[in-house]
Amino acid sequence: MTTPAAELVGVSQRFGSFTAVDSIDLRIPRGRLTTLLGPSGCGKTTTLRMLAGYASPTSGRILIDGQDATRTPPEKRDLGMVFQSYALFPHLTVADNVAYGLTMRKVPAPERRRRAGEALELVGLGHLGDRRPKQLSGGQQQRVALARAIAIRPRLLLLDEPLSNLDARLRVQMRAEIRRIQSETGLTVVLVTHDQDEALEMSDEMVLMRAGKVVQTGAPRDVFPAPADRFVAEFLGYENFLTLADGREAAVRPEHLRIVPADAPLDGAADGGVVLDAVVVDVAYRGVDLLVTLDATDPAGAPVRLVADHRADHRSDHSDAATGPAPSAGDRVRLLAPRARLALLTAEPATEGLS
Amino acid sequence: MTGQTLNQGAGRSLRLRHPVAGTLAVAGYVIMIVPILFVVATAFTAGSTLRFPPEGLSLKWFGEAVAYSPFTEAVVSSLELAVLATALALVLGVPVTLAIHRGRIPGKGLLEGLFLSPLVVPELVVGLALYQQLMIGLHLDNFTTLLLGHTALLLPYAVRVTGASLALADPALEEAARGLGASPLRAFVTVTLPMLRPGLISAGLLGFVTSFNNVPLSLLLQTRDFRTLPVTMLDYVQQSYDPMVAAASTLVLAATVVVAVVAERTVGFAKIFGGINR
Amino acid sequence: MRARSTLLLLLPGLAFLLVGFLLPAVAMLFAPPGVTFAQVIERMGAMLTDPYDLGIIWRTVRIGLIVTALCVVLGFPIASLLARSQSRWAGVLLALAIFPLLLSNVVRTFGWLVVLGSNGVIGQLLTGLGIVEKAPQLLYTELAIVLGLVQLFLPLAVITCYSAVAQVDPGLDEAARGLGASRTRSFWTILVPLSLPGIVVAATLVFAGSVTAYTTPYLLGGSSQRMLSTQLFSYASVTVDWAAASATAIVMTVLVFLVSGISALVGRKGATS
Repeated sequence: MTTPAAELVGVSQRFGSFTAVDSIDLRIPRGRLTTLLGPSGCGKTTTLRMLAGYASPTSGRILIDGQDATRTPPEKRDLGMVFQSYALFPHLTVADNVAYGLTMRKVPAPERRRRAGEALELVGLGHLGDRRPKQLSGGQQQRVALARAIAIRPRLLLLDEPLSNLDARLRVQMRAEIRRIQSETGLTVVLVTHDQDEALEMSDEMVLMRAGKVVQTGAPRDVFPAPADRFVAEFLGYENFLTLADGREAAVRPEHLRIVPADAPLDGAADGGVVLDAVVVDVAYRGVDLLVTLDATDPAGAPVRLVADHRADHRSDHSDAATGPAPSAGDRVRLLAPRARLALLTAEPATEGLS
Repeated sequence: MTGQTLNQGAGRSLRLRHPVAGTLAVAGYVIMIVPILFVVATAFTAGSTLRFPPEGLSLKWFGEAVAYSPFTEAVVSSLELAVLATALALVLGVPVTLAIHRGRIPGKGLLEGLFLSPLVVPELVVGLALYQQLMIGLHLDNFTTLLLGHTALLLPYAVRVTGASLALADPALEEAARGLGASPLRAFVTVTLPMLRPGLISAGLLGFVTSFNNVPLSLLLQTRDFRTLPVTMLDYVQQSYDPMVAAASTLVLAATVVVAVVAERTVGFAKIFGGINR
Repeated sequence: MRARSTLLLLLPGLAFLLVGFLLPAVAMLFAPPGVTFAQVIERMGAMLTDPYDLGIIWRTVRIGLIVTALCVVLGFPIASLLARSQSRWAGVLLALAIFPLLLSNVVRTFGWLVVLGSNGVIGQLLTGLGIVEKAPQLLYTELAIVLGLVQLFLPLAVITCYSAVAQVDPGLDEAARGLGASRTRSFWTILVPLSLPGIVVAATLVFAGSVTAYTTPYLLGGSSQRMLSTQLFSYASVTVDWAAASATAIVMTVLVFLVSGISALVGRKGATS
């Protein structure tokens, strides 16, 4: 196994009595895109800032390329950082912004210009080198910040909520753009985000954090269907939580709850899934589907309120004859959750490191 | 009713059309500006009293003012003092600003309050204190005492005005520079200092003008060898009542207009006094 | 930035502040040359019972209050007109209101000598039109001091109120008008209350400036209309009565601190309610 690009060993960050990061261990795999995902205040940005050298850990060690960098100042770490605010130097042109790191490295002027130009080309802004940052749109500024970080050929590219200041359409575009740049350059990327869609779409590896601790790590395909605990499940968009007959807690996504008429045959229950009798409380029309809110009793006997996505257009929903007519408030219906769609939650959060 | 159609426009120029507010505003401008105009008018008199309307036109009082050595010497002294005090206040004040805005120390509010404190004590009182304690008590010469006093007086401007510039600048800019390989000093010179530029110019101009025009702090700190211009003019007015001071005042006014134009061209005249962003 | 380098940045500034301001100011209170602190206190006690000295204190406060009121009454309309106007003249007028702040107080105050003096504009006008036989005595009156101080501090009131008014969303006025408030009602019920913190700051600055100004009472009040400042100068420079000078300085400083303190309290109350 190769040395990880970076490694955090028992790293903590305390501000007075507040613990922002609580003794975390993390390995950042080389040449891949790792996201630190969690709600605000979970310690993800602090972790990134410690990695970049802008904050010193209260305890623990930080290794970059296997070498101890815990006390190395940021200017000696050779990392490229893209700030949430972009932090473009307003008094310098776009080209000078991108060349700044090369100037600091005493790269001769001709090579400096060439490499800055290349970096700008890579983000598709080769023609805007003479502009000032203020003359660019938010999306363009974001690309300049990216080019500036890449131009120094960093050992790691660190992105602090890079897409949070962009509008929704641009954000989705930039996800693909950052992935493209990552694969073209082969850079190791660490990205901080609070947006689970962003993390799912972009990551090779996800690190879910809460209250300064790592809660779950793994590839999106492994983490998404199997959230370790209720916190992760809620964060990933699971909205329904049931206690099963055996006392274990399970989470179900709204799109996996199927609404069938109250008298429909129970063949769905046979595979070990859950079948519940429910009353429709509210139906909201959402274009592609209906969002149905229901009251039911879970297998353990406790009352629960659940939400289910229900396809509005049955003609396109070709095969399922059991779906029946659209539900309306007050209807008595039956809810099916197939066994395979039940995410069983463990009481203890899983905290294995990345490998 | 036309009020409906005029509503948009009325919202904009709103109180301009209000007769009471308009009258008060005009009265305010008359009090602020008109006396200054009369100073200029009397400076060009051919007569020998501060009479209005002037008795004939002449430039003779300008000639007298420029030839009057107490005035010319005082101009040099005041310039010397104002330039030195402003430079010192900036050199001392900018590091303080950095410490307050970027440093990690407790009690920043208290510290800033301490550096702004020369603004709250009446200048005349500070002048008395410096006169008693430094000139009489410690036998410091009056130039040193004036320089100390003026520098302390300008420190609040330096700290507050450059601080306003720094507060507007994204702290991530310096971090970005560090991350790209700049040492702390290099990051200060290449990133922080350019951010501070408008604040430095504002604080410099404001400090210079404040020091150059000061009367209350300087009043008790005059000697025969080193006198400042405003106090010299004040004494002259008290003794003789001729239009020479009007001429000298007009020259000061002209110089002030130049300063105002420089201010407008560099950072925007209104911004110098802070809080006004047109 | 580490604590040690932060301290290094602070040290030179702190040293200057101590020598050029704090230490002398404190020492003046406790140890004027050849005088004990007890004598200063005793002199201050005498001052607060002596009718002549009390008269000076009262004149200072009275003039300060009148000037403050006038500056707010004249300055706020100017500020609200300029802040709300879209006209390009507003910029010029604003510059005209700010410019006097750069101009020497001596020059500005000197203008009133030309206007109010015995051969001055107003006297000439009144006698020339035959309204009065002999020009009235305008100079060396409280009126002259008040006019001079209003001229001096009105720009300060204007820019302080301007910042306050500019922060009030113009949409609020439109909303009030839409709800049936007249222009005047909207002014009093929306703009004035929302600008009040700025008005309080402006009033405090003007008052503190007025009761400590020297040039204006010296030139326009003369020896017949003494204020604390001119009295202080006379003790320190003419009679060289250190105890009296220090006592006057203390009274003046306490007056300013008192008003600043009250206004800070008012401001804080306004901010929380």
